[in-house]
Amino acid sequence: MRSPLLRPAAPWALLRRPSPLSSRPLLPPQQLPQPSTQPRSQCRPHSTTTATSSVNETEISHFSSLASSWWDPHGPSRPLHLMNPHRHDFIVSCLSSSPSPSPTTNFTYLDVGCGGGIFAESAARLPTTLSVTGIDASPVILAVARQHAKRDPSLTQKLAYINSPVESLVLPPVDIVTCFEVIEHVDYPSQFLSELVKFVKPGGWVIMSTIARTWTSWVTTNLVAEDILGVVPKGTHDWNKYLHEYELRDWFKKDREEGDGRPKWGEARVMGVVFVPGCGWKEVRGSEKIGNYFFGVQRLA
Amino acid sequence: MEALLRRRAAYVCQSCVRSARQQLWRSYSSVSPRPDIYDVVCVGGGPAGLSLLTALRANPNTSHLRVALVEAQDLSKIKSWSLPPNKFSNRCSSLTPSSVKFLEQIGAWEHMARNRVQPYQEMQVWDGVSGARIEFDWAGAAPNTGTTIAYMTENLNLTSGLLKRLEELGGVATFDNARVENITYGEETEKLDLREWPVVQLSGDKQLFARLLVGADGANSPVRSFAGIEAKGWDYNRHGVVATVELEGEGWGGEFTKIAYQRFLPTGPVAMLPMPGNYSTLVWSTTPSNAALLKSLSPKDFTAMVNAAFRLSTVDLEYMHTQSSGQDEEYSWRMEHTPVDHRAVPQVVTAVQEGTVASFPLKLRHADTYVAERVALVGDAAHTIHPLAGQGLNQGQGDVQSLAKTIEYAVIHGQDIGVGMSLESYVSERYAANHVLLGVCDKLHKLYSFGSGPLVPLRSLGLSAVNAFGPLKTFVMNQAAGNGIKVF
Repeated sequence: MRSPLLRPAAPWALLRRPSPLSSRPLLPPQQLPQPSTQPRSQCRPHSTTTATSSVNETEISHFSSLASSWWDPHGPSRPLHLMNPHRHDFIVSCLSSSPSPSPTTNFTYLDVGCGGGIFAESAARLPTTLSVTGIDASPVILAVARQHAKRDPSLTQKLAYINSPVESLVLPPVDIVTCFEVIEHVDYPSQFLSELVKFVKPGGWVIMSTIARTWTSWVTTNLVAEDILGVVPKGTHDWNKYLHEYELRDWFKKDREEGDGRPKWGEARVMGVVFVPGCGWKEVRGSEKIGNYFFGVQRLA
Repeated sequence: MEALLRRRAAYVCQSCVRSARQQLWRSYSSVSPRPDIYDVVCVGGGPAGLSLLTALRANPNTSHLRVALVEAQDLSKIKSWSLPPNKFSNRCSSLTPSSVKFLEQIGAWEHMARNRVQPYQEMQVWDGVSGARIEFDWAGAAPNTGTTIAYMTENLNLTSGLLKRLEELGGVATFDNARVENITYGEETEKLDLREWPVVQLSGDKQLFARLLVGADGANSPVRSFAGIEAKGWDYNRHGVVATVELEGEGWGGEFTKIAYQRFLPTGPVAMLPMPGNYSTLVWSTTPSNAALLKSLSPKDFTAMVNAAFRLSTVDLEYMHTQSSGQDEEYSWRMEHTPVDHRAVPQVVTAVQEGTVASFPLKLRHADTYVAERVALVGDAAHTIHPLAGQGLNQGQGDVQSLAKTIEYAVIHGQDIGVGMSLESYVSERYAANHVLLGVCDKLHKLYSFGSGPLVPLRSLGLSAVNAFGPLKTFVMNQAAGNGIKVF
């Protein structure tokens, strides 16, 4: 059976454009083709795509169109603003679950697909944070992020934004790689994940959030949120791209050390959250199987 | 920064590095001085403002915040405030057990002069026209609520205790004897965009940039005006006359069972609230002309009027308010013809402390909201209430407790504590609760302002019914004590 991470795999995917990876068997991540690093002399930090980018142009233009309202707490990004505190709660729960005593201060973060910087700014504000790098493929949104970060003098020393897809990013590994509400927007999640995990230090964490691909999530995130209530802008979600937590879990289980084949990752942690209009997000045990959830996994030292 | 750039240069093209260097150079060469930036600037050093700063400093999650206090008065005088044990300030408040618990949590309670704080265990409230009465005591009440209804405290004792605690905690940039000349907004420079940041301009060219500007600056709050938040309400055309009085004894319940008394007169409620020893504090809401008369009386006549207010009929009282002097003789004569159950009213007032008779106008105000971008209002800046239930200061403490909790949550979750989104929970937690209390006290005032007519027997029936119905009475007492039964 093909991994759903190597999209398109499901029958409905026949309607989507053919993927170069769709006919490939499941490959361990390290065997996936590595994106070629561009010569430094041609480095274009302000470009939006590269030949090997996982990002989808339609997705970029969709989010670019939301740029102006990204920081409006009563605008279309309100659910994201309301979710942000739960991201931190989840990270705290992951860090405290680590069997080996982990550091409690001077954390470095990489936020992949940072958008307007809702999470990146908040992470940089924490007293325990040393630095945050936010990357996004949309230059329009990053301009919003940079402009907004100027409003808080405490961010200038700790927060940097880079307009780059993860494939062509050059950055030393960090303690915490975050990727919130992003993986359901990329075309080839398996390839994307193998690029992303390169930036995790041994002992560090990958923290993600996405949505399970169930009829409930179709009703809530596509039909109700976008079409009926309109709390999420139309066209934000492509249900076919949603991922189950067990699919992510499987991916990390199969990602092993080269040579001896030791596991690279610890036991994954998940937390399901449910959006209650008027109340915001609530943690609901077991809801990771049907809707929005957080996913965290530690790189073994 | 140069090092950072050099590190970046490893993966950023040379032209970008050059342009970044130029930007850096430009910003260094600009002449604007570094702005003095604070996380919280609190305007107003009264009970609400001081409690907020104490709460923030005492909490390890918020103690790293850079905070400033701006106050017009000389705070060192308030901190060193002291009076002999037989003298009491005339501005007192009834602190509910939940306010006291909060003050204990932030470590201020132990810094107050505890021998000047008087808990009371009973309340006697009655209708001045019909005599219908309600007695509150904790007999038969839920056992875990304790026996104290509230704690009578001089406001200066509270502010002095808070200042001592703040001194112990340290870390507050204090600007006292300071006048707020103006509040403006910051500007946008190449590196920073402070156009939404309030800038408090103090006399002597001092500027404080505020991530969050807290208006704890009273009923005529300049911070509220700056934020463009309107406060709606009305004046009661009533004044609150206050005084410190001495009674013939420690009270009918002795040293350990103190009783608060309140009689609703058509002109407004008159309350006698116990202080330590033989002392009590008086709060008498009445018409401005009556208040002017009371303040003009000799100590002997004033004392007679206070005794009359708890004993004589409203007709007798009305007459005595028309006399410019001689109330003492009038009172003695009228008492000979008035049967009084002495143990149902406060003990006889024997003296009034010199210089303690004062009055202030009563009004109701409620701000349209408590927050704006980078602004939050607490205490009287947000609401002014009729004093008949003694809730004003407690509402302010409730605001502060909620705001401090809101700030702590924002800090833990990396939110900017000044933005509206971070402050939402403060408004939703406090606004409706305060509004209900403002409304209840307002309606009570209006209900009891009728001297005759159909409402008098109705309200008396209501009071007697509440008195007879235990659970409802417990509920009302819990409300008065702030014991956590929330209407919302």
